[in-house]
Amino acid sequence: MKLNVDGLLVYFPYDYIYPEQFSYMLELKHALDAKGHCLLEMPSGTGKTTTLLSLIVAYMKAHPLDLTKLVYCSRTVPEIEKVMEELRKLMNYYEKEMGMEQNILGLALSSRKNLCIHPSVSKEREGKVVDGRCYGLTASFVRARHAGDDAVPVCNFYEGFDAHGKEFPLPPGVYNLDDLKEYGQAKGWCPYFLARYTITHANIVVYSYHYLLDPKIAEVVSKEISKTSVVVFDEAHNIDNVCIDSMSVKITKRLLDKCSNSIQILETTISNMKENDNRRLEKEYQRLVEGLRDANIARETDMALVNPVLPSEILEEAVPGTIRTAEHFVAFLKRVVEYIKTRLRVQHVVQESPAGFLRDIHIKVCIDRKPLRFTAERLSSLIRTLEISDLTDFSPLVTVSHFATLVSTYTKGFTIIIEPFEDRAPTVSNPILYFSCLDSSIAIKPVFNRFQTVVITSGTLSPLDMYPKILDFHPVIMTSFTMTLARPCILPMIVSKGNDQVAMSSRYETREDTAVIRNYGNLLVEVAAAVPDGIVCFFTSYLYLETIVSSWYDQGIIDQLQRHKLLFIETQDAAETSLALINYIKACDNGRGAVLLSVARGKVSEGIDFDHHLGRAVLMFGIPYVYTQSRILRARLEYLRDQFQIRENDFLTFDAMRHAAQCLGRCMRGKTDYGIMILADKRFSRADKRSKLPKWIQEHLKDTNCNLSTEECVQISKRWLRQMAQPFSREDQLGISLLTLEQLQSEEMQKKIQQRAQAA
Amino acid sequence: MADEEETNEYRWESGYEKTWEAIKEDDDGLLESNVAEIVARAKRKRAALKATGAIQLGMMRHLFVVIDASECMFLQDLKPTRFLCVLKLLELFVHEFFDLNPISQLGILTTKVKRSELVTALAGNQKKHIEALQQMKDTSCEGEPSLQNSLERAMNGLKNMPAHSSREVLVLFGSLTTCDPGDIKKTIKSLKENNIRVSIIGLAAEVRICREIAKRTGGTYNVLLDDHHLKELILNQVQPPAVAGSMEASLVKMGFPGGKTGSGDGASDSAADHAPAYCLCHIENETSCLMGNNSGYNCPQCGSRYCELPVECKQCGLTLVSAPHLARSYHHLFPIKPFIERTEVPEMTHCFACAKPFGELDPNVYECENCKQIVCLDCDLFIRETLHTCPGCASDPITAQMKTN
Repeated sequence: MKLNVDGLLVYFPYDYIYPEQFSYMLELKHALDAKGHCLLEMPSGTGKTTTLLSLIVAYMKAHPLDLTKLVYCSRTVPEIEKVMEELRKLMNYYEKEMGMEQNILGLALSSRKNLCIHPSVSKEREGKVVDGRCYGLTASFVRARHAGDDAVPVCNFYEGFDAHGKEFPLPPGVYNLDDLKEYGQAKGWCPYFLARYTITHANIVVYSYHYLLDPKIAEVVSKEISKTSVVVFDEAHNIDNVCIDSMSVKITKRLLDKCSNSIQILETTISNMKENDNRRLEKEYQRLVEGLRDANIARETDMALVNPVLPSEILEEAVPGTIRTAEHFVAFLKRVVEYIKTRLRVQHVVQESPAGFLRDIHIKVCIDRKPLRFTAERLSSLIRTLEISDLTDFSPLVTVSHFATLVSTYTKGFTIIIEPFEDRAPTVSNPILYFSCLDSSIAIKPVFNRFQTVVITSGTLSPLDMYPKILDFHPVIMTSFTMTLARPCILPMIVSKGNDQVAMSSRYETREDTAVIRNYGNLLVEVAAAVPDGIVCFFTSYLYLETIVSSWYDQGIIDQLQRHKLLFIETQDAAETSLALINYIKACDNGRGAVLLSVARGKVSEGIDFDHHLGRAVLMFGIPYVYTQSRILRARLEYLRDQFQIRENDFLTFDAMRHAAQCLGRCMRGKTDYGIMILADKRFSRADKRSKLPKWIQEHLKDTNCNLSTEECVQISKRWLRQMAQPFSREDQLGISLLTLEQLQSEEMQKKIQQRAQAA
Repeated sequence: MADEEETNEYRWESGYEKTWEAIKEDDDGLLESNVAEIVARAKRKRAALKATGAIQLGMMRHLFVVIDASECMFLQDLKPTRFLCVLKLLELFVHEFFDLNPISQLGILTTKVKRSELVTALAGNQKKHIEALQQMKDTSCEGEPSLQNSLERAMNGLKNMPAHSSREVLVLFGSLTTCDPGDIKKTIKSLKENNIRVSIIGLAAEVRICREIAKRTGGTYNVLLDDHHLKELILNQVQPPAVAGSMEASLVKMGFPGGKTGSGDGASDSAADHAPAYCLCHIENETSCLMGNNSGYNCPQCGSRYCELPVECKQCGLTLVSAPHLARSYHHLFPIKPFIERTEVPEMTHCFACAKPFGELDPNVYECENCKQIVCLDCDLFIRETLHTCPGCASDPITAQMKTN
């Protein structure tokens, strides 16, 4: 249908629209008009993706100069594929309505592993190996050598792309990963490099967060994306953690040992080269003297996305003399690695600031801050010069060089923690150096600065005001949408006590209490008896899950449970978990019913959907606070308090509640779906926790359902399940939660939408 | 039977109910418009159910009723227990079933402890089934049910039934889980191949596999709200279903036993017909009744005597019915068309059927398409559910003539 969104003609590829989708479009349009950033929360299953795409594409068509490109960041490959399918639907609709080919090019980009079509390289399973082997076939010096000697293997697809691919741009259309591969096969071009090349002139790019947030990758892939783009981060409730992870480094003893090996390889290669071909080393030296001027020019003309790892000041200077020659640099690297090795030889936990670390390294091994800053750049230059084609071996050394650069560049917002052993096994020596980013705004800052509109959206972003604080930006629009429903299809309940009136809570003090554990068990057994098909349970940690299951076993609760449903458990092993998941789905499908015990923040809680019968109920046992004894977390909390005036408790609750909401949202994937959400902890009923749940859950959480006992909860669930099982057709939804064009345009509905916009 | 329950159920037994929440006031603070709306909505739903028109119906039905007898049937959310409530309603169902489908057969299965048991085989004798149901009240419910086993069993019983009959299974499923020996999907497939319709009534909540079975085999799946709703759902199954796909039409041999009066008016009347004889329906029981000269019905083929019709002859297997039985099935074939809803008809001031004057309380009246007579909501339902014939058309000689021709 064709919509009029605040004066903009929007083609929407479906015959019906949800009212909240229309409100979402309105808000998004305002943000685009204002060229500002926005933060939008809309429940999962209400068609966020298609709403976003249809509005932004319409906007691009209406204002081709103001908005040239859409960069859509998603988390996983399946999600990327889903976005591409929606986009295809939209483009087909455009074509049908307008009766001609659309001049819009949309493509998905993923790693080499997912795009490679080389007959032997694509067989590799591990991403790193694929990258390494690809580099070994496509690096410029390898190809140069191939020109002289046919025995040196190169990748034919890359050669094909290099010879012709750049002259003929990809024809307009929608390309997902498989389409790219197919196109590559047909033309004999490498799909990966084709996609990377095409990014610069494609209208819509869909890829993973990392291509924009991880400075190491963003530099390569995304630096030439124009300023007049809109960037969308979907499922962005964890975006601060992604930012932090992309800037943090973890160095273990084993990694350092591997570094020493790599350095040795470097040394021998250098001495070989010196004997054979000294000229090349000299050439490199000259280049380094001239400095990174070229990069600087690019930045000044505003061509590139700023790389936070490589701040602008560095580019203006030449590489310092101490590390200019290859031998000196290798010796320098050796010193750095040895120094870190000695630092790892500690008996107690050390925490220090980057400044302290720099002072110490200066005193101990006489290394200045300046050469350290150039380490990463210098290392990649050296590897290029030495024509080392197998990069996989050098990844530890690259990690260390990143660490050296980061530690000398940022004195604020980072901390170094050296732990001689893990908390769980204090007797086993396993020293680890954490270089941890405390400030999530560092990695995302270039994105906010560069692009005119950044949209952060997810099903669960509450409380909304926290994100602008921790990401340090000023959104022009910040809205949470609720779900209009024709029937109450979610039933959130807070169960605070067992039938014996003992309070249920995962508080540290009562965690081991058998009465609490038994009450949790009874709750699960009774719910399992009343709820059909699949039930998903979330615990606060793997450790807690293990202790609870073992005491349930002793108390005979597991036996009782298995009379109603089969039991599956998520473990830390990914293969085991996916096997459990497959069988869980099977058990739900054939009517036996199943219970899945999993962990908040685990694999299951993020990204796996339990729609319809796979998740008729979600139970949240306890509040999923993050492990508060972790030193990294404590350092971050301290930093947040000092820099952003966020109290520790506020952040912890925020973090716990967003994960709880994420878990609860697993069972609700659309308007015809329905599910029970049970929060089994007394503390959830407190106002500070309750108010942090997303609005669309809060709306259905009645006061009367906030302090229930097990029995009451089961009683309510039974009645509700019977109501939900009654036939429910599209006609029932029409006019309330599903609108035709006429209904949408009716005055009454417009008024309602206005009201909602004001209330939001 | 169900009426008894209505009076027996106490308010405090029915769980936490908030009746006041269901009632909403309109703008003037009145409740009536809301209540009227609820009634009208229920009515419309029923009308929609019947607005099928003339299609081929599976009048000759072979139906297996599967009763869940697993542990969960002892739950007391239906009073006195789920099991007893279901049995009681089934008695009513069996009675109604044979009343409306005189030429059909019925069998009963139960499932418990992961197995399936045959209670009564397919037969047309309703007394036997009702007796069996009454006896089942004392049996215990235990273990888990098995959908697959019971469906396989029902399928084995139905497979060999003639192709022109409608093969059906009705499952009353209280449990939320099923414990099956193999892949139930295969069972669904072979059910479909054998043209067996499976309808399921869930007693607790929507179970995915049940929905799937019903959908794939062309049956219905419903979940009850309370015992009244359950009764409604079970009785809905009494109506013969429309034939799915093409079913071969064929002639069925049937016997119409002669009357009771001694004046030899039929060829099948002979001296033997009037001799005192034991009724064959009750021959196995001690309570077997010796019938006098002129009571009972004789099979026209073998001469066995029965005290009640319809019945399947135990001797020769002939289906014995009386003409009124067949006539009663007739209205399934030609259901009266749904009446048209009219908001106001000025010239009519009272209902044609019951002569009740229309007040302001009746927002809607209903008009028959054929005879243009206007009736009230209550009469509309009565005509539709009980009479099966429109009084307006029947009293008008012209339309009545049209219909019979």
